[in-house]
Amino acid sequence: MNAIATGIPLKEPAVSAVAGDTEQLERAYIDASTRVPVLMFYTSAMAWLILGTLLAGFVSFKLHEPDLLSNISFLTWGRVRPAHMNVMVYGWASMAGMGTAIWLMARLCRTVLRYPLLLVAGACLWNLGVFLGVCGILLGDSTGYQWLEFPRYAAIILFVAYTLVASWAVLMFRYRRGEQIYITQWYLLGAFLWFPWLYAAGQLMLFAVPVQGVLQTAVGWWYANNLLFLWFGAIALGTAYYMIPKVIGRPVYSYHLATIGFWTYALFSSWTGMQRLIDGPFPAWMITASIAATILTMIPVATVGLNHHMTMQGYFPLMRYSPTLRFTVFGAMSYTVFSVVGLLISLRSVASYVNFTQASIAYSHLGLYAFFTMVIFGSMYYIVPRLVGREWRYASLIKLHFWASAYGIGLMTLMLLVGGFSQGSSMENPTLAFSESVETVLPYLRGRSLAGLLLTASHFIFAYHFGLMLLGLGRTSTVPTFLNPVEAETSGGH
Amino acid sequence: MKGLAPLFLGIFGTFAFSWVGLTVIPNWQIGHLNPQSDEEGTDIYPQPQSGMFERGARVYVANGCVYCHSEQVRPDYAGADIERGWGNRRSAPRDYIFERQVLLGKMRMGQDLANIGARAPAEQASPSPAGAAAPAGSPGGGTSPGASPAPQAGGPAAASPATKQSPSSSPPAQAASPAPAGSPSGATSPAAIAASPATSPGSSPPTAAALVGPQTGVGAPWPIQTVGEPPMYSAAWHHVHLYSPRSINVDSNMPSYRFLYEKRRVHEQRSADALKLTGADAPPEGWEIVPTYDAKCLVAYMMALNQSHPLKDIRSVSGAPAVPAGAASPAPSPAPAK
Repeated sequence: MNAIATGIPLKEPAVSAVAGDTEQLERAYIDASTRVPVLMFYTSAMAWLILGTLLAGFVSFKLHEPDLLSNISFLTWGRVRPAHMNVMVYGWASMAGMGTAIWLMARLCRTVLRYPLLLVAGACLWNLGVFLGVCGILLGDSTGYQWLEFPRYAAIILFVAYTLVASWAVLMFRYRRGEQIYITQWYLLGAFLWFPWLYAAGQLMLFAVPVQGVLQTAVGWWYANNLLFLWFGAIALGTAYYMIPKVIGRPVYSYHLATIGFWTYALFSSWTGMQRLIDGPFPAWMITASIAATILTMIPVATVGLNHHMTMQGYFPLMRYSPTLRFTVFGAMSYTVFSVVGLLISLRSVASYVNFTQASIAYSHLGLYAFFTMVIFGSMYYIVPRLVGREWRYASLIKLHFWASAYGIGLMTLMLLVGGFSQGSSMENPTLAFSESVETVLPYLRGRSLAGLLLTASHFIFAYHFGLMLLGLGRTSTVPTFLNPVEAETSGGH
Repeated sequence: MKGLAPLFLGIFGTFAFSWVGLTVIPNWQIGHLNPQSDEEGTDIYPQPQSGMFERGARVYVANGCVYCHSEQVRPDYAGADIERGWGNRRSAPRDYIFERQVLLGKMRMGQDLANIGARAPAEQASPSPAGAAAPAGSPGGGTSPGASPAPQAGGPAAASPATKQSPSSSPPAQAASPAPAGSPSGATSPAAIAASPATSPGSSPPTAAALVGPQTGVGAPWPIQTVGEPPMYSAAWHHVHLYSPRSINVDSNMPSYRFLYEKRRVHEQRSADALKLTGADAPPEGWEIVPTYDAKCLVAYMMALNQSHPLKDIRSVSGAPAVPAGAASPAPSPAPAK
């Protein structure tokens, strides 16, 4: 039942009383130095999350209630939808991911955060870029490429903001202490270096010197997919590699596996993307190469999954107590589900059914929410108390947040996948009128709206809790907030 | 991991590999395609698009049509696109070379639009005098830019007046143009339309509308309504559909785009391009609903989406008018064209 009964020491890593003193002081010192920039990123991210959630609900309801506020140009479905996607991708996910990545960089480089002004300026500019971009989309300036809808004026600001953050990361890396470069740092360095190249390549090949014809679509999906894997995926995997061992106080099972996982991930996942264009007007080799790459991404999935699993082996009961662990492990498991679903809907025989259906929305949500966002939620539960010097106030709110998120995203994925398959099978049956396929999927879309309500509730709960922490209304305690009571002597630094 | 150099080299190397492999090489392979032509150098396909087309594409993008509509026809071995009458052959990279922005799309909450222009009733897109009855009344509307690119006639030139027209001044300019006689639906009942385009595809490529005869009936996503409606997929029909989708199909879940239309008082007589609305959508007496210039461009864009011209290395479905859906699928020979 409790930690003692299972014989598991529920303690945070390396906080043993003897060796810990100087080390802990040093950590606290580093954490304090990250306070302003990381909280800035987190707070902005939370604001965007709430806005994006409201937009999402609007989009979801409008899909089955098309006349809802449709006479106002900036509230038309086709504008709110990209606004929602970009708020989530650039406002919420990128900013929260950068906040976590910044904190991890400082911790893992074992040095106080230098040049905080770079980050503060980066966060301000990034917010400005997202704000202008979203306004641009709503006013009809969208570029029309998935995840690159921000008009050019916003894109340039985002890029400048990003350059500030990435150059900070490289600078910090140069000041690091210690020889060992931890696994998390590979992923984070990768993310910080891949993203600008990706973004610049996307912008250049689509807007500055546009490629001809259908290649625009190929570049667009190449961008979107790599953003999902090499930016969000890399940050999430790096975070999971830090949080899981840290919370259970046990080293990663195998460095060797981690190395294989990292390099195969970089190599294969970057080659996916064209499978989204399956059966489209492209040379067959492009699509086939991406399908093959998608199949090969099972190697990193297996190695990373195995590594996490072996690290957690015997420690799974700790998910009862640690919010961080619960969210992170959920996210890490979702990575496997996300990859397997991605593989299934990429196979040619399946794709001819689900290619143009809601199933691809399920895939994006699995990657961006069930995997990335859940891992980031977990890291925020770990990091925020260390920044504000207070512990989370209500265990019950954390539990509600978790279950609403988990059930919400589960239901949403299920609805979209099943709905997508039935939509697709109606569409592939030419004896049925096309409108039948839309009719088929509408009930599932209503179910999706229901799932969206759950997610909305979870985000408002989290935002409220986060707000309490920001206002210094958390608990003052030396014991972290556990989801369920733990016997007093087993508690360590959270 | 030991050493920084392998880490950095690896990070750059893997990504460079993907970048070169998935964008640079394809660009080298299909990034500089030219139109095709026959031996005499005539019958060039595809042709550059008009200014209204470009602007219509912007409207299409701005309002997110691409999130529900695709513009690509899959081959007959994958999906039922051809059987649905969405095209008579699969789409190919060459079809898109003149589109400034290609909107292949990834979702079909609405039907595919790759050949929506080809599904228009025959007289709509033909440059013959019959075109004068085109509903839009705009210089570009009648000749449906891009859909009638007869090389000798200078299709782009015909459409150019439209591009010069100042966007803001559109409604007055429309009113000034002599009203073409009567409603576009006029004499042509849908039945007549369904029958008329039965001419074999491929016989007279430039007059594109005739090509896709088989699709008109087969591809109908809902029963064609008859009374008082403009012919299906005509420009006037598109306007009514954009304005009030559920007046045409009650089950449609397309949003209406009323903000692309303008309600104004009738001066002396109804404008030629005023929408023929019935029931609850109809404006009060003395008022009319007219498309803005953006709406006209959007419709011009859709009317010009037409991939029915044969392509050399892509097999087209044979010219016989298709039998009603489901009765017989068009010769499913498995050979992939590409």
